[in-house]
Amino acid sequence: MTDGGPVSGAEGGTARGTEGEREAGAAPAASEGGRWPFWLPVGVLLVGLILTGVLVWISASTYSSNERRLLNLRVHDAGALFSGAFAAIQTPLASAAALADATNGDVAKFMRFVTPYTTGKTPTFGSVSLWRLGADQTAPLAVVGTPPVLGATPSRAEAFFATTAASRSRLGVIGLLTTPPRHLGYAFTSRGLAGRYVVYAESRPLPANRRSRFQSTSTFSDLNYALYLGKLQRPEDLLVTDLEKLPLTGQTANLSIPFGDNSFTFIVNARQPLAGSFPERLPWLIAVVGVLLSIGAALLTLRLVQRRTHAEQLAGSLERIAEENRELYSEQRTIAQTLQHALLPEKLPKIRGVETGARYEAGVEGVDIGGDWYDLIALDDHRLLLVVGDVSGRGVRAAATMASLRYAIHAYAAQNDPPATILTKLSRLVNVGATGQLATILCALIDVEAHELTVTSAGHLPPLLISDGKGTFITGAVGVPIGVNTGATYTSTAVSTPRAGTLLAFTDGLVERRGESIDTGLERLQHAATANHCELDQLLSRLLEELRHDGDDDTAIAGLRWLD
Amino acid sequence: MSFDLGYAGDDGLTVTINGELDITNVDALEAAVGSALERHPERLIIDLSGLRFADSSAIALWVRWSTSVPEIELRDVSPILRRVIDTMGLAGTLNVKP
Repeated sequence: MTDGGPVSGAEGGTARGTEGEREAGAAPAASEGGRWPFWLPVGVLLVGLILTGVLVWISASTYSSNERRLLNLRVHDAGALFSGAFAAIQTPLASAAALADATNGDVAKFMRFVTPYTTGKTPTFGSVSLWRLGADQTAPLAVVGTPPVLGATPSRAEAFFATTAASRSRLGVIGLLTTPPRHLGYAFTSRGLAGRYVVYAESRPLPANRRSRFQSTSTFSDLNYALYLGKLQRPEDLLVTDLEKLPLTGQTANLSIPFGDNSFTFIVNARQPLAGSFPERLPWLIAVVGVLLSIGAALLTLRLVQRRTHAEQLAGSLERIAEENRELYSEQRTIAQTLQHALLPEKLPKIRGVETGARYEAGVEGVDIGGDWYDLIALDDHRLLLVVGDVSGRGVRAAATMASLRYAIHAYAAQNDPPATILTKLSRLVNVGATGQLATILCALIDVEAHELTVTSAGHLPPLLISDGKGTFITGAVGVPIGVNTGATYTSTAVSTPRAGTLLAFTDGLVERRGESIDTGLERLQHAATANHCELDQLLSRLLEELRHDGDDDTAIAGLRWLD
Repeated sequence: MSFDLGYAGDDGLTVTINGELDITNVDALEAAVGSALERHPERLIIDLSGLRFADSSAIALWVRWSTSVPEIELRDVSPILRRVIDTMGLAGTLNVKP
């Protein structure tokens, strides 16, 4: 065998393939790394917090504007109530003024008319008095109720009535009379032609500390309020409030209510949320839930990121394992091939006048040892036994059967048994019922001196004899494969050999293709073998290269060339 | 590869094999048919009308079966397969019918 033989060739190919895979597998690992793993969870947290903030702001401002709207509604309701109350003040005074005018200051009628307003459970006025304009104004014509506080300061009364007379037919408001207890003073001038009479009234004393609450049953019991005379909310103008301490804080609503030639300013704020407590708490609720959800989402994202990282690491290690497996696989394959080759002859015998060669090619798929083999045994200095066999199946069992058959043949050959006897004896050794295996074997005895070739086949493909550019298959009697019948007998076919020629024995891997007749494969071999004129070793290599097709079956080929 | 088991008469077993039978699935078929063969049918008929390809391990399986039944018959064997069986000298052993 030459140096570029099948063993080293197959190993070289395997080693190259493994290294290529290793380089390809290492590449994706280098692109990883250096990326901060928490940017995604932090991003989710930020987005969640921003969204929460926006929602809180929206709900808070909605709550605020809603409260403002409700407060405005309430203050207008309260204003309407006050307007009614002020009408109840103005109307009797106007009527009394008109009466005085019409009766030309009839005191008795005035008193009879006014008395109901100063008596009773809740009198409208503390004091009502009738004054004549332009006359001596130091004293009223008539007084009902308590004497007017204004009476004590005639100069102020004079000035006030002068102004009131100018704004005839309107209620004139003198303001707060500071003499304790405080009163509110107002006057109405008759609208008659003369306009000579003024009806002046003072309110009942205001509460000493100017403090009064709405009744708890009132519609307005949920409001704090302050009522001022005039538009300026000065402390001295305060009429009444329910608070210990002014001014009103927080969201307030105010309303200016006209009162004669003056006005009241009414300010309220809400003691508690007008729309109920839920809308007030909603922003807080959204804030808490939003923050919790954001944190939850961030944690979930973190976990997913970690899982992904983990999965990537796992994928990386799986890739490494796969690579290791590939290495192990190819290693195992190499072992199988080494074993196979160990079962094949290490060195082919040399006999004068002939040249020998052989090849074994493993199937590419799987790591199982194939069952094909070849053997060349020198019987003496001019006789050679050429054997090619194929054990059905693969794996260690096929290899064991192959080994036992091979060594048995060596033993029978040593006994000088001819091929037919060798196979007949072999068939006693193997029983398909026991081992489940068959073996097809071709046994050829070459006698160089006698120029004779004796061939016996146990179900094996016929050998090809090439001479003078022509190839002939030696198809003699074919016996059953070894293992089928322990009582089988074999016969041999003898042909005389050419002075110069080549004998090729092979297994079915060289000629068989799926869906094709075996005859087509044999013809292909015949053509290729006669077309190639070269050294025997080279011929064997070329035939393997040209004829092996799908390569999933192992192939053995042995050749012998007679040298002229 | 797929297969069907059928019973022909009292003692006959028919195995119909479809598709490709080779070293990769021979063991599966052998295991599946094994229990039916344990009932020792008199006749085993292997119907190969639907078989597209068989390799030498398939042929070895049929030879194994042939040793466990008194009578075997291969039916509808394709010319290509028939030629391989002839080359191996097994036409008689497997009782190949065209």
